[in-house]
Amino acid sequence: MGRASGKPPGRPLSDAVRMDVHAPWTWSANPGATVYGETLRKAKQGEWRRWDPRRSKVASGLLRTSGAAERLLPAPGDHVLYLGAGHGTTVSHIHDVVCHGGAPGRVVAVDLSPRCLRDLTRLSHARPGLVPVLGDARRPEAWRAWLPRRASWVFQDVAQAHQASIFTSACERFLVPGGRGLLSLKVESDRGTDADGLRVKVEHELADAGLILEEVIDLEGFEDKHLLFVVGRPPRA
Amino acid sequence: MRLFHDWYVAVLVNEDGVQVDRLRWTGGGGVQGAVERLERVAQARLTPEAAQLLERFPEANVEPVGEGELPEVTAEDLAFLDQAALRLAERGVADAAGDLDRRLEHLHRAMEEVRQASNVRLSRLVEWLGLFLPDLDLDKDRLGTARALGEADDLGGLARHLGLQTPLHLPARSEWRSLRDHGAAAVDVQARLDRLEAALRTLAEAHLPSLSALVGPMLAARLCVGAGGRARLAKLPSSTVQVLGAEKAFFAHLKTGSPPPKHGFLFAHPWVMRSPLWVRGKVARTLAGRCSIAARLDAYEGTPMTAEDVAEVEAKVLAIRAAHPRPPSRKGGR
Repeated sequence: MGRASGKPPGRPLSDAVRMDVHAPWTWSANPGATVYGETLRKAKQGEWRRWDPRRSKVASGLLRTSGAAERLLPAPGDHVLYLGAGHGTTVSHIHDVVCHGGAPGRVVAVDLSPRCLRDLTRLSHARPGLVPVLGDARRPEAWRAWLPRRASWVFQDVAQAHQASIFTSACERFLVPGGRGLLSLKVESDRGTDADGLRVKVEHELADAGLILEEVIDLEGFEDKHLLFVVGRPPRA
Repeated sequence: MRLFHDWYVAVLVNEDGVQVDRLRWTGGGGVQGAVERLERVAQARLTPEAAQLLERFPEANVEPVGEGELPEVTAEDLAFLDQAALRLAERGVADAAGDLDRRLEHLHRAMEEVRQASNVRLSRLVEWLGLFLPDLDLDKDRLGTARALGEADDLGGLARHLGLQTPLHLPARSEWRSLRDHGAAAVDVQARLDRLEAALRTLAEAHLPSLSALVGPMLAARLCVGAGGRARLAKLPSSTVQVLGAEKAFFAHLKTGSPPPKHGFLFAHPWVMRSPLWVRGKVARTLAGRCSIAARLDAYEGTPMTAEDVAEVEAKVLAIRAAHPRPPSRKGGR
């Protein structure tokens, strides 16, 4: 874990995020601490945290997208929903972004596994605004009260069967009109289809749910057999 | 009249969509107050505020939580919500220890690891000691050999104690001490393995009474862990239970068309293992069916299987063996 100091890495994407050739960096909301052994870089009044694209599908998506990378991320102060939070690797960077500069952002991080929640609750003590929820992404009734405002950004990475329908119902229920959703799709989790067939099927499902597909990013090389679907929810007519 | 509510507020709206009454949680009870309200909402029960409004207007229709026009949460509400969420998450983490599936899994895997360690130690030990004692029987009572070694003062004494020839070469002093320590450690590992097995038996008999009665607690635990928990085992078709533990052979069968496996973990049961080759598949199929029933009795808390039920299954197994005394003729077959 390096602590090199000096000039900030790469070019800015926003106040909270910079991008160099190999990885994005986020401005730490909890300086002095690493979450998963990532490289830190000291700056004048804080610290940048390297966002490892091999460990985070959002980070690899930022590198691979053909459009403007910053549109894949929420803004400071946003309420966001994260389904399949895992051990908090990506969640911590998203938290850096929405709570940048003390903004009142919230990350509602849902995971089914008590083992993962253990790490998330520890993280939450150091990072106010990170809200861990022990719950099943397929049963939103049990935790919908945790998100009293609609989220402007929804991310899902659950590696379960019917990933796409879990995502579309989450977007319908929790995503604000005009908001953006990211679906990380593990091809192997839906049985009996190859990558291309699944991709077409998911594209139809997203369209049927009234979501506008902006881009499908192939994460091959960073994360094998994973596709990242970027969708927008149309603004209220 | 329609009643809308969420954890922090309850609102009553009349037919024209006009708000008639509203009760807001004012932070009473602090974080614990928020915890209780969130729990109620998660379980689809009324919050105290909603219940109070319903008392005032018993004719109101209760709408699903969070639907309709509710007032915005305040920053204060959110602060309470976040603290309450953290408390609930921590409780959920602590509650995982109440899940016997998880405990059974750790105990089972620990036992497998220690069993492997015990076997490795004992086989190293008898080979090592056998080098010095050429007429030592390496396969007989390895644990007894280890015990005798751990208690011996020197190699000559051990040879006399075991009634063996005096060794031609003697180990150096420090070498002998290491050898003896290895013997004592092997005995110690075996004792730990025994304690683990006893604990696993107790837990399996409590968690899987029927399955334990049918195939024994050790095999019951292995099936349960292999299936990924009691509830999942109960939901598996018995054809899957039959080949649980034989995944490699099973998927090779699907891929290459090799003969399908007849049994997985169930092979360890004497009814299967001690049956002649040509009826093992039939016996395993019968037993798997009964295992599924037993697992379902356990998972849905039915009346556990009795010794008579088990005797009935055994009778059936014996009948299968009796009906096929000779291997089937190869003529016309594969």
